[in-house]
Amino acid sequence: MNHRTRRKTKMFTSHSLRRGWQRCLAGVAALALAGSMAASPAQAATSEAPASENVLRIATDGFIDSFNPFTSFYLVPTNTFRYMYENLVANDAKDGSVTEGLATEWNTDSEGKVWTYTIRPDMKWSDGEPLTSKDVAWTYNQMMEKEEMAVANGSLVENFDKVETPDDDTVRITLKKPQANNPGQEIPVVPEHVWSKIDKPGEFKNDEKSVGSGPFQLESYQANKSITLKANPNFWRGKPKLDEIQYRYYTNSDAQVQAIRSGEVDFITGLSPDQFTALENADNVELNDGNGRRFNGISINPGVADAEGKEFGTGNEALKDKKVRQAIRAGIDTETLRKQVMQDYAQPATSFIPAVYPDWALKSDNSVISGFDVAKAKKLLDGAGWKEGSGGIREKDGEKLQLRFLTDADAPIEQSTAKFIKPWMKDIGIDLKNESSDVDTVSERTTKGDYDMYFSGWSINPDPDYQLSINTCGQRPDADGNGGTSQDGWCNKEFDKLYQAQHVELDQAKRQDLVQKAQAIHYEEAPSVTLWYPNQLEAYRSDRFDNFTKQPSDGGAIANQVGYWGYSSVEPVSEEEATGGGMGAGGWIGIAAAVIVVLGGGGWLLSRRKKSDDRE
Amino acid sequence: MSTPTHDPHSGDRPDRGPGTSNPGTDPTNPSPASARGSAATADADPANPANPATADMDEPPAGGSFTRYFLRKLGGAATSMVLVIVLGFFAFRMLPGDPVLKIAKERPMSPAQIAELRSQYGLDKPVIVQFWDYLVGIVTGDLGESYVYRKSVSALIGEYLGPTLLLTATAAVIAIVLGLWLGQISAWRRNSLFDKLASSTSLIFWSVPTFWLGLILLMIFGGTLQWLPTGGMITPGLDPWSPAGIIDVIKHLILPVISLVAVVYAQFLMIMRASLLEEMNEDYLTTARAKGLTEDEVRRRHAVPNALLPTVTVVFLHIGGLIAGAVTVEAVFSWPGLGKLTFEAIRGPDLPLLQGTFVVFSAIIIVMNLAADIVYRFLDPRVRRA
Repeated sequence: MNHRTRRKTKMFTSHSLRRGWQRCLAGVAALALAGSMAASPAQAATSEAPASENVLRIATDGFIDSFNPFTSFYLVPTNTFRYMYENLVANDAKDGSVTEGLATEWNTDSEGKVWTYTIRPDMKWSDGEPLTSKDVAWTYNQMMEKEEMAVANGSLVENFDKVETPDDDTVRITLKKPQANNPGQEIPVVPEHVWSKIDKPGEFKNDEKSVGSGPFQLESYQANKSITLKANPNFWRGKPKLDEIQYRYYTNSDAQVQAIRSGEVDFITGLSPDQFTALENADNVELNDGNGRRFNGISINPGVADAEGKEFGTGNEALKDKKVRQAIRAGIDTETLRKQVMQDYAQPATSFIPAVYPDWALKSDNSVISGFDVAKAKKLLDGAGWKEGSGGIREKDGEKLQLRFLTDADAPIEQSTAKFIKPWMKDIGIDLKNESSDVDTVSERTTKGDYDMYFSGWSINPDPDYQLSINTCGQRPDADGNGGTSQDGWCNKEFDKLYQAQHVELDQAKRQDLVQKAQAIHYEEAPSVTLWYPNQLEAYRSDRFDNFTKQPSDGGAIANQVGYWGYSSVEPVSEEEATGGGMGAGGWIGIAAAVIVVLGGGGWLLSRRKKSDDRE
Repeated sequence: MSTPTHDPHSGDRPDRGPGTSNPGTDPTNPSPASARGSAATADADPANPANPATADMDEPPAGGSFTRYFLRKLGGAATSMVLVIVLGFFAFRMLPGDPVLKIAKERPMSPAQIAELRSQYGLDKPVIVQFWDYLVGIVTGDLGESYVYRKSVSALIGEYLGPTLLLTATAAVIAIVLGLWLGQISAWRRNSLFDKLASSTSLIFWSVPTFWLGLILLMIFGGTLQWLPTGGMITPGLDPWSPAGIIDVIKHLILPVISLVAVVYAQFLMIMRASLLEEMNEDYLTTARAKGLTEDEVRRRHAVPNALLPTVTVVFLHIGGLIAGAVTVEAVFSWPGLGKLTFEAIRGPDLPLLQGTFVVFSAIIIVMNLAADIVYRFLDPRVRRA
């Protein structure tokens, strides 16, 4: 920079060089701009007011309709409720198992029909009012009695017959039918003294100064700008060390990556493998490759039908034969896919309960599990009557074995998967056609059963009951999507019996065994092939915060937990280490001047030069 | 929905006509009519003053009163508006996918919950009834209630219009001033190094996808150099009316405005350049020079004012397009404006919101076209007198 400045000064003083400097100044200005860019110190830091030490800033782009726990079902509000409202029982950070929440202990009668909870004494809401069993009962009863209060979580109280409070420390839930899954999970409990005074609680937005029992309370919300949560001093586990959590809106995930590089946000999640790798060398950014509670798989149309067994859709007849479905599984090298497509940012999978729930996931040593085996796949197809025909494609009764694979054109992972699978299917004699489309078309076609195979995925909660239930015959929707939800549109009486048995089995060990058996049937029948359990890729500013809690605590994820563990334990890093500050006014004037000089000055000088030429 | 991207190859290249001194120097003249791309601009061609053929066709018949001309234009605009309203309803219903099922996807929702949502959204009614409700709503100024925000669409659009206007107006002023200024110098010094540099640079920027340019700027100035914020309109917690808040908003404005300006200023440059080139060989300039005026004065006092006539009307057309063009930029820079609202509505899909923003964007373009027609009538004495 220095010698360049000197040169410029010299030019100004030399008359003989006047024409020269006119011609050159535009170029010099451009160089100066480039030079000032290069000279900018790496620690120039953010262009904003120094962030308060103790505010964890998180990038988000999720939908928000309101912060009403009775009606909102979008991901961001749902995750926020977990921090705002304690449930009757919580799910542990360690492995998601049921642990104490508002209740310190609970028990059930011999068949699992009457559940009795003991509430922790002397708890307070964030506004200082006492929290008792009456609040719990009031919340549950609202959902059971009023349709508009059951919009978000109605299914969780569907089996509730009545909820009573013999005293301030006891809640008794009587169920319609017995169930083994603790009914006190995942229902945010709200304060009666606040909500009972609201005229139409179903339309209440609850978007400022919330009153709750969880570690953080909603302070303010500005749509598409920010959500601010404040620590709750009355939280029964103790006030969190953070003062505030502030969600900031970033529509674009690449912009989120830039925001964490520049230190404008402290935490981001949901990164793609490419974005994650790109952040590996970023200063002060710590990465978390967290095992997730999701699975990805390929759903194979087993001949979808509604709950009454009436078939619909365009699924290939060949897929009704489970040998063909099994052959497809044997023909897919899931380990290569996991390593190549997911770049190892995923766990090996067995069935639809992910490995982060070791109590429930199908054990990898189960005898039913078979790996990638081309010879076996060919044998299975031979056995099903599909004989090798011309061009290596199998035929039966003059018909070629041609299948369609439906994928989302905007999802790179689905597109790469399709590219890998096509030649593998060719190897075993199946002609697989990748039909990629936009996500709405994919969802419409899968609803109508208009597919042979499609790329699917689900997030799984700690208790397996729900995911098992949507694999039962009675849950299958009709062609308009009405009536229920089904994972693969599949139906099996044996599986249904096992589902019912585990649904009421109170002995945890026996229930685990039943869940294993149910998943083994699903695996053997192969209405879907689970490919992997994708990791949740996250990053945080290690120069500002540490001590995030993962779920599961060994190698899990920080965001999207079932619970409030992730941010509650976060501590700010000591003040001296934290960076902050903004670029001085001088820097700003410099940029503005450089831009003006380059854009305007260059042109002006050139035009001047021409003008004087004209005059001469 | 009119897409915010522009395609330099679409749209007609206006015939320069006999007045063009050197058509060879003007290989890629962006058409002023490139703002088309929405049904609304179908009516816009007449306002293309660079093209004598279409201008003739649209000039009022000799002796026609201004009222008749105005009413005719108003009628055209009203027809476009009706078409937009009808299209706004049916186009989005034809999109694949069921909004309720999309919300219910991967969520433990019982059939009763799904049915409740359908009825809340009014999706359980027959389409013709929904259409009627929509028409009645539009007439009474009620655009329905957004699925996601649970708020009236009119109120939402009102809320988000401000940031969009701030962004697009700033960008429009800069793009117009920069484009017109560079354009007149380019024409005056045609074939010079400056002309070649200015024209080709502007065309390069014009060909660059807005999305890509935005991300690159974001990466360089936001993530790497950390000079400018990476998104949003203001740092949460700051009062936008305090001095610190105003400076903060300006910092947030810089990158989105540069992205918007970079991709549109070529249009103004090219229009100005072409208009001025047409004037270059006119006799009155020779007269002016004969009077002893300097080249600079000839350009500024005589040539430019005449060349501005066709340019101004074209500028009006582009302002409408610029507002629609904000969709991409707002999505990249998380700018909380109408464009981002539209982007989110598509993700939803939030049908009432999508219809609302579509109607509003189209209405803005239609109004701008109407304004262009009227301004043209007033500015050009030849048309006024006819």
